[in-house]
Amino acid sequence: MIYLAKEDIKHTLGKFIVTAMGVGMLLGIVLIMIGVYRGMIADARVILDDLNVDLWVVQEDTLGPFAEASRIHEDLKYTLKGYQAIDKSEAITFQNIQIPFHEKKLSVMAIGYDIYGSITPINPKRLIAGRTLKNDHYEIVVSDKTDYELGDTIPLGRDIYTVVGITHGTVASGGDPLVYVSLKDAQSLQFTYTNKRIQTDRARGIKSGDAHLVNAIIATVYPSYGVDATAKTLRKWLHKSVYTREQQTDVLTKYVVEKASKQIGLFTVILISVATIIIALIIYTMTLEKMKEISIMKLIGLPNSTIVKMIVEETLLLGVLAFIFGNIFSHLIYTKFPKNVVLETPDAFILFIIIVIASIVASFVGVKKVISADPTAAIGG
Amino acid sequence: MSTKQAIKVENLNKSFGKGDAFVDVIKDANFTINKGELIALIAPSGAGKTTLLMMLGCATEPNSGKIWIGEEKVFENKWLTKETRKIRREKIGFIFQAHYLIPFLNIIDNLTLLPQANKVADKESKAKARELLSYFDIADKENAMPSQLSGGQNQRVAIARALMNNPEIILADEPTAALDMNRSVDVVKMLKKIALEQDVAIVMVTHDDRMLTYCDKIMKIENKSVVFL
Repeated sequence: MIYLAKEDIKHTLGKFIVTAMGVGMLLGIVLIMIGVYRGMIADARVILDDLNVDLWVVQEDTLGPFAEASRIHEDLKYTLKGYQAIDKSEAITFQNIQIPFHEKKLSVMAIGYDIYGSITPINPKRLIAGRTLKNDHYEIVVSDKTDYELGDTIPLGRDIYTVVGITHGTVASGGDPLVYVSLKDAQSLQFTYTNKRIQTDRARGIKSGDAHLVNAIIATVYPSYGVDATAKTLRKWLHKSVYTREQQTDVLTKYVVEKASKQIGLFTVILISVATIIIALIIYTMTLEKMKEISIMKLIGLPNSTIVKMIVEETLLLGVLAFIFGNIFSHLIYTKFPKNVVLETPDAFILFIIIVIASIVASFVGVKKVISADPTAAIGG
Repeated sequence: MSTKQAIKVENLNKSFGKGDAFVDVIKDANFTINKGELIALIAPSGAGKTTLLMMLGCATEPNSGKIWIGEEKVFENKWLTKETRKIRREKIGFIFQAHYLIPFLNIIDNLTLLPQANKVADKESKAKARELLSYFDIADKENAMPSQLSGGQNQRVAIARALMNNPEIILADEPTAALDMNRSVDVVKMLKKIALEQDVAIVMVTHDDRMLTYCDKIMKIENKSVVFL
């Protein structure tokens, strides 16, 4: 049995492999783009997963601190504890700050929490050096992405903080590394101004604001009480917005990451379309190069199906080979990206299916050329 | 009808174009070619040699007339089968100016490609291919690629390919055009031998008058008519 596609590819193996590598790099970028999106989703879930709480109580009519400004009173956590359904409740703050980074500034998200409380945002599994916070003031736990080491000091606001712990894989939805400070320090960072600002405010008659504000109250619910039912009750009586963990996940993925995901999705569609067009052009050129042979094959009586099979098999093989090269390429470079890139097998599988379909579509141009080829063109010089 | 009949043509007509661009190429052609004959087809350039060859090869549709390939009538004012390619595959062999072997197939695969399309068993088609390669004295080249063979060797492979489907006729389009005098004579003598030994009719287009002495008959297109000299 003669496999025309195999023999043709064997004849021009180097050219075929280089072509597949080129298309493969394009598909590798597609995989990286999908990985960037997956990375954003994974990053967005870090805080939620590490906190592992059932309810988020935030400022009324807001989506919460991940989507917009939310300020509520810290003592609400005591009100919540009064509910039978609530097991634990704590106050938490989130704020974007700049810390010194190799003579530049690095944007980080600072999480403030009660170090004596029953809920900690620091996942022990992510702590790769040092310890969690033990003192109310001037200690900080940082992500390893900040490049700080244990014992390093960081000037923040009016104070200097010492690094006591380092975590790994802790980032916010935007990809910024996380740092952890005590709730008191976090409130101080938010509400304590410079001496000059205080002096100016006093001259204007402005009194110091309430510093006992936080961005959210987080709570866990006893298993015997339903989370949704508890959330409904709290909404009714507290006049606050209350979200379950799933709802807060939706806020992060649908509202915060949505635009970025749409952008990445569009880029991915464009790249796949470009890859399809490139494969089609390559196959068209490869078919054109063989037109004399194709005319001869048709003239001596070979059925179209034999020649079409060769074109379709070559296109499919090009697509599959490009997919393999794309996977290798993406796995070689994905760690070099500044943001988290998560390459998942199901995504690669879906891309594989798309590439197979795209290759079949791309082969149509070659097939059309074969069908329209004039067998009498074989005659003459 | 004679069992020796390889090609029979009656009142065959072919024209191209319409209105001012209308051109008659072949008018009322009537001839019969028997198996075992080597026929030279001559005419000035543009007189319709290739058109006639392609009509006999069921690749160009005549306007009217009748064509028989062997005993089978294949054309009567229209093709009598949708699968003209099947007729070519089973009854006709082609030889071109250059060898036009498939460059990415080795010699044995070039020969067995057509039988494979005719659903002939692999073993059987390879045996036939090896027999022909031995007949043409190139048995040791079966695994070589066309690019590794000389022009003369490739032309012999091309002739062997034309014989692989046990054709009733072979249509040769200037098979000696690319060869020097000695090789041209060798090829034409070989075609004559094949016509006799394989009992096949060969129609060979040629511009080289020196080759005519080796042919059984000379067919000429003169004023759009086909005549035997």
